[in-house]
Amino acid sequence: MLITTRVQLTFSFLGISLLVGGLSLVVGTQLINRSVLSEATNRIRQDLNAARETYHNVENRLAVGLRLTALEGHFLESVRSGECSALKDRLGAVAREIGMDFAGLVDPGGRTVCRLGSSVAAPEPVHPAALAALATGETVSGTVILDREIVAAEDRALAERAGIRLIPTPRAAPRPEEEETSGMTISSAEPLYDGSRLIGVVYGGVLLNRSVEIVDRVRETVFQQEMYKGQSIGTATIFFKDLRISTNVRFPEGERAIGTRVSAEVNQKVLVDGERWTDRAFVVHDWYITAYEPIVDIFGERVGILYVGVLEQKYVDIRRNTVLIFTLITAAGMALAILLGYVLGQRFLRPLYRLIDVSRKVSAGDLSPDIGRISRSEIGVLQKTFMEMLSSLRERDRRQRAESEHKLLQSEKQASVGRLAAGVAHEINNPLTGVLTFTHMLLRRKDLNGEVREDLETIAQSTERVRRIVKGLLDFSRQTAIEPEPTDVNALITETVGLVANQALVRGVEIEFDPGDGVPLRTLDKSQFQSVLLNIIINALDATESGGRISIETGIGVSTDRESHRGIDIIISDTGCGIPPEDLDRLFDPFFTTKEVGKGTGLGLSVSLGIVERHGGTIRVQSRVGKGSTFVIWLPSEEEA
Amino acid sequence: MNILVADDDKVVLRSCTRVLEAEGHRVFPAINALKALEILESQSLDLALVDMVMPQYNGTYLIEECRKKWPHLPILVMSGYPTPETISSGIRAGASRFLAKPFTPDELLEAVDKALEGPREEQGDGDETGFGDR
Repeated sequence: MLITTRVQLTFSFLGISLLVGGLSLVVGTQLINRSVLSEATNRIRQDLNAARETYHNVENRLAVGLRLTALEGHFLESVRSGECSALKDRLGAVAREIGMDFAGLVDPGGRTVCRLGSSVAAPEPVHPAALAALATGETVSGTVILDREIVAAEDRALAERAGIRLIPTPRAAPRPEEEETSGMTISSAEPLYDGSRLIGVVYGGVLLNRSVEIVDRVRETVFQQEMYKGQSIGTATIFFKDLRISTNVRFPEGERAIGTRVSAEVNQKVLVDGERWTDRAFVVHDWYITAYEPIVDIFGERVGILYVGVLEQKYVDIRRNTVLIFTLITAAGMALAILLGYVLGQRFLRPLYRLIDVSRKVSAGDLSPDIGRISRSEIGVLQKTFMEMLSSLRERDRRQRAESEHKLLQSEKQASVGRLAAGVAHEINNPLTGVLTFTHMLLRRKDLNGEVREDLETIAQSTERVRRIVKGLLDFSRQTAIEPEPTDVNALITETVGLVANQALVRGVEIEFDPGDGVPLRTLDKSQFQSVLLNIIINALDATESGGRISIETGIGVSTDRESHRGIDIIISDTGCGIPPEDLDRLFDPFFTTKEVGKGTGLGLSVSLGIVERHGGTIRVQSRVGKGSTFVIWLPSEEEA
Repeated sequence: MNILVADDDKVVLRSCTRVLEAEGHRVFPAINALKALEILESQSLDLALVDMVMPQYNGTYLIEECRKKWPHLPILVMSGYPTPETISSGIRAGASRFLAKPFTPDELLEAVDKALEGPREEQGDGDETGFGDR
């Protein structure tokens, strides 16, 4: 299958954009995630600090309010006189002023002598902060847990408010009781002095159960009523132990989630271990990024938890939007990559496609195709080179055509000369036979005078010359093209040896043929090549006396003039009379014949050599007079021919 | 020796007759292949000299006919146009030797002697299958 360069280009662009986009998506998401989360976590820590300040502000407000009250002369006078109704008036005014839920007075003996919320002031039980202030003689202010009896003693209505039913909460630590009756308060107690004499302790406080003051102020001041999708983003809660007693986290129905509890995990970490907790947490019905810290009462006990949390949804959405944007950018990049790959591919490759078209035309034979506009890029170089190649192809084509036309003309000429020569030769050779015969017959006569003999010899010599000229003409005309066909050289030699076997037998000459292994098939003009073999073998037969031997071998041979040029050797050796050295050189001359008459087929060795040379081969001869001759026909193997 | 000479050229016929008769042979000239076959039928011959190129029935035909009927008869082919093809076809048809025209009397006699050499020896052996194996 052809994968076009354009497709490859597009895929490369796509791959790059995918890589870059994907990487930026992953990295960006990570970064956003981390920065959003860390920002949210930082912010929530600060928010928790602010919430704590708000909480402490209430403490301070109570402490300052009571101290100022303790310094009032009227108030001290009323204390000294033990006028409870006057005290209550004053305490009531102060309570309204600084927002106290309860207040009272304890005498130096540790009995409660006056309670703001109760008409009959029972001496017992006594507010623990008041007792502490009595014991130390100093202001005591902070978180105080009051059990139900004290709350009820202070104010019956308050005891009602303090009671909170536990709502089963998933992931909270198990708790056996069904209701929390104790009240969690921020209380303050101020010792009262008459000069240096302690005359009592004035105390007061805020019940946190079901109170909204602190948590809503935190929301207002810290989160500035920020809303997200109809939900207020910031929430604050005060836990009594693990119980939500004051909160603005709401149930989906809109009610404050008082009575639900903190998860066992947070409970363990914050309330038991006393550490801060900052993490995402599932609060009531949503995920929040949260911060928790323990609330410690005036005795140093961890009694509750202060919590702030921001809705995680906002950050999740930011993150999701970011991921979405990155994804969109990546997708856009990919679309752009495809477009770019296509457009650039089109733009850059158009000349290349054109070139492919053109080369198809060229291979179909059109050597002058329209190559189009030359590109200014490397493809332009290719186009130019291609054009140069085309022009040299055209040139070669033209030359070849001219050459083959010339050759055709030559061969036609040669053929007609050959036909003429053959006709002439045939016609001349017959009368020439007559001339030669009768001249020689006349020369045999003994009664010739010198002059006549000389003339007759001149006729004989001239006729001999004519014979040679005609023979040369014939040899020349025989240089016809070879008609090759695949031939098994060994089989051809076996056949040829069979043709002369009887002759050899009657002459008493032994002919051996040893076909070599691995002699390949070779395309030859079978008929012409066989006549070459016959010519040489019959020559050898003629040269060999009875009892002699002709041996023929074939094998893989290497050219004498071209090293490593492999081919087929056909070696024909005889034990005949041999060829004198002076004749060896002229053996293949077209007009050469040995003086010895009646030799061979009458076909010149030059013709044999011509045939072998037209097959790309050579003929070598070695001979020693009286010992014999060896003819070696070498034919190049097919692929090197 | 009784020798048949088949050639369409009278000059060649006369030349051969002259040379061979001078050597003491009896020569039967034939101007074409049919005439040669007639002679072959009627005479007991020792050698046939056949020209390759003759009108109507050429030398190849004559040689093949000879081989069929007289497988032991040595045949010497002649041609004024000794191409590799004519030589090969003559030898393949069953001729034992080839003689290129023109030739001198000595060359003719040499060739005839060479052609006659074998059969004489073979006749002595008495089991000659001759050239008829083709």
